[in-house]
Amino acid sequence: MNEIESETTKLSSDKPYIQFQNVSKKFGNFTAINDLTLDIFNNEFFSLLGPSGCGKTTLLRMLAGFEKPTNGRILLEGEDISNIPPHLRPINMMFQSYALFPHMTVEKNIAFGLKQDKLPSNKINQRVDEMLELVELTEFSKRKPNQLSGGQRQRVALARSLAKRPKLLLLDEPLGALDKRLREQTQFELMNIQEKLGITFIIVTHDQEEAMTVSSRIGVMDSGNVIQVSTPNNLYEAPATKSVAEFIGNVNLFEGVYKGFDDIGTKLKCEHSESIVYSSQSIDAKNGSKIWLAVRPEKLEIFKSPPDYKYNILKGTIIDIGYGGSFSTYHVKLPNGNMISVIRANRERTSEKSITWNDEVYLHWSSKSAVVLTE
Amino acid sequence: MKNNMLSKYIFNGRNAVIAVPYLWLLILFLFPFLIVLKISFAEPIIAIPPFSSFFHWDGSFWPTIQASFYNYVFILEDSLYLNAYLSSLKIALISTLITLVIGYAIAYSITKAPTRWKGLLLLMVILPFWTSFLIRVYAWIGILKTEGLLNLMLLSLGITDQPLTIMNTNLAVYIGIVYSYLPFMILPIYANIEKMDGSLIEAAADLGCRPFKTFWKITIPLSIPGILAGCFLVFIPAVGEFVIPDLLGGTETLMIGKVLWIEFFSNRDWPLASAVAVILLAMLILPIMYYQKSQEKAIS
Repeated sequence: MNEIESETTKLSSDKPYIQFQNVSKKFGNFTAINDLTLDIFNNEFFSLLGPSGCGKTTLLRMLAGFEKPTNGRILLEGEDISNIPPHLRPINMMFQSYALFPHMTVEKNIAFGLKQDKLPSNKINQRVDEMLELVELTEFSKRKPNQLSGGQRQRVALARSLAKRPKLLLLDEPLGALDKRLREQTQFELMNIQEKLGITFIIVTHDQEEAMTVSSRIGVMDSGNVIQVSTPNNLYEAPATKSVAEFIGNVNLFEGVYKGFDDIGTKLKCEHSESIVYSSQSIDAKNGSKIWLAVRPEKLEIFKSPPDYKYNILKGTIIDIGYGGSFSTYHVKLPNGNMISVIRANRERTSEKSITWNDEVYLHWSSKSAVVLTE
Repeated sequence: MKNNMLSKYIFNGRNAVIAVPYLWLLILFLFPFLIVLKISFAEPIIAIPPFSSFFHWDGSFWPTIQASFYNYVFILEDSLYLNAYLSSLKIALISTLITLVIGYAIAYSITKAPTRWKGLLLLMVILPFWTSFLIRVYAWIGILKTEGLLNLMLLSLGITDQPLTIMNTNLAVYIGIVYSYLPFMILPIYANIEKMDGSLIEAAADLGCRPFKTFWKITIPLSIPGILAGCFLVFIPAVGEFVIPDLLGGTETLMIGKVLWIEFFSNRDWPLASAVAVILLAMLILPIMYYQKSQEKAIS
């Protein structure tokens, strides 16, 4: 927890590149963004992650200039850009639908932005060739968008949005239309390109795996606000709230009552266990107040006979096993009816003492791998 | 065996469905056209019907055909007809261009209107169709004539001190054609702009393009299919227009539709009138084919 925190503070010590200052956006009666404040730093690969309708796209569109904030200011390098129209902003966007001009060739699409800057034509050609090379589409330069595959169109859109060397690149669900394998491959390409060009990227996505893979930091959004901003690792291992824990990956939540803190950690009395359970994390809570303990499925161990631990043991019955090749997911039913999921790596090809349906099993987690949450 | 083949290739459902429009075109277009073509090769006579017959049966199984190209030669030699064709093309072309400019502006502004207004605005575009075309053209006489509404308004506002002579001029014909055919221009262009991906306009702005330039570089080029459809829907019927030049035009207005009417009803020269119609169709077939091709391209 502490070492992760220090990583974030190191970033924060830089001067912020983009600042949202108390930004609100209302569409009629609907509040899309509610008093949001957020700093993004130079050279970051920042993700805005959240369910659909959480306001992440509105935030991106405000950066591009397609929407004006109802309240608050947006600063780029300390300069207020809230009222600058989109065609005058040094910011480019890669659209979810790619928005390639269908009546222009790949080359012309990429050159479009450069032509608006009235660059000399040899300079434009040079930059277009550079971009085509970057996205490996040189031999497709004369094609029209409808003669390209989905993956190629995505790369044209990327090249077009990068051609002007923007101060900031916005990506709206850039990989949403690609199939899984291509998406994974493109994620790494995006990271390489970002590293090579040193441009700040802000990406909007609802795919938490994608956000975790590509970004240096993630802002988790819900109902018009940022709930938590942190590194992928920190978000997963130290979520600030239940909703973040549930949105990022899978989690087992135990509701209980705070019973103080001792040398093992925070003590929690849960409804489904007679003994006290522990998390080594300390929190600021009143004795007897309602708190939650969150344990990730892969952090639970599973035993066929009672293990040698003194605490953090639950007894249950195997209801379901999902075989996933490299790992298996076990659904364990506790005596009170709660379902717990456990993920274990399949380390041996066949196991004679393997766990099967209806087995009585014991679950254990280390107090270090459990997180306590107050909201 | 043969029966099986028949049912397989001719009487299957797919062919039956396709057959309906083909049959319709055959009966209501191709067949009447062949009759007109046949009459155009005849000679006028005083009889009922007023033209000589095309086929002559003189005892043998096959009839002999009596065809004369006299009408076509006559039309091509008399500059009146050539001038009428050219004048029709000119009036149709100019009206189409005016209709395009006005129609595009209206169609574009409807697409930009708030969603709840769009239905009402479109309804207003097609509302004139609920009144007879003839009555609407007649109504323009009331507006354009010397003591008509327009002059009354201009005089009472003091904009002019003499009534304008619009009625019975080519200007009245242009006004009539542009007014009557405007919905045919608006609707295809509206449909085209409406389905255009709005993010393309945003993308152009994002890449630094000013709104006015975006309109020329993105919106106009992408609405060319709609523009072509609208232009053909206006141009083709406008060339052969008869009612508007007859009611609103004057002696200076020379249009082939009117010539055709005079040949047919005043001179009762059916063969010549048919030849005029056949040549008109031949002239329009090129733009019609081009229109077809552009539509196919738009679909693919």
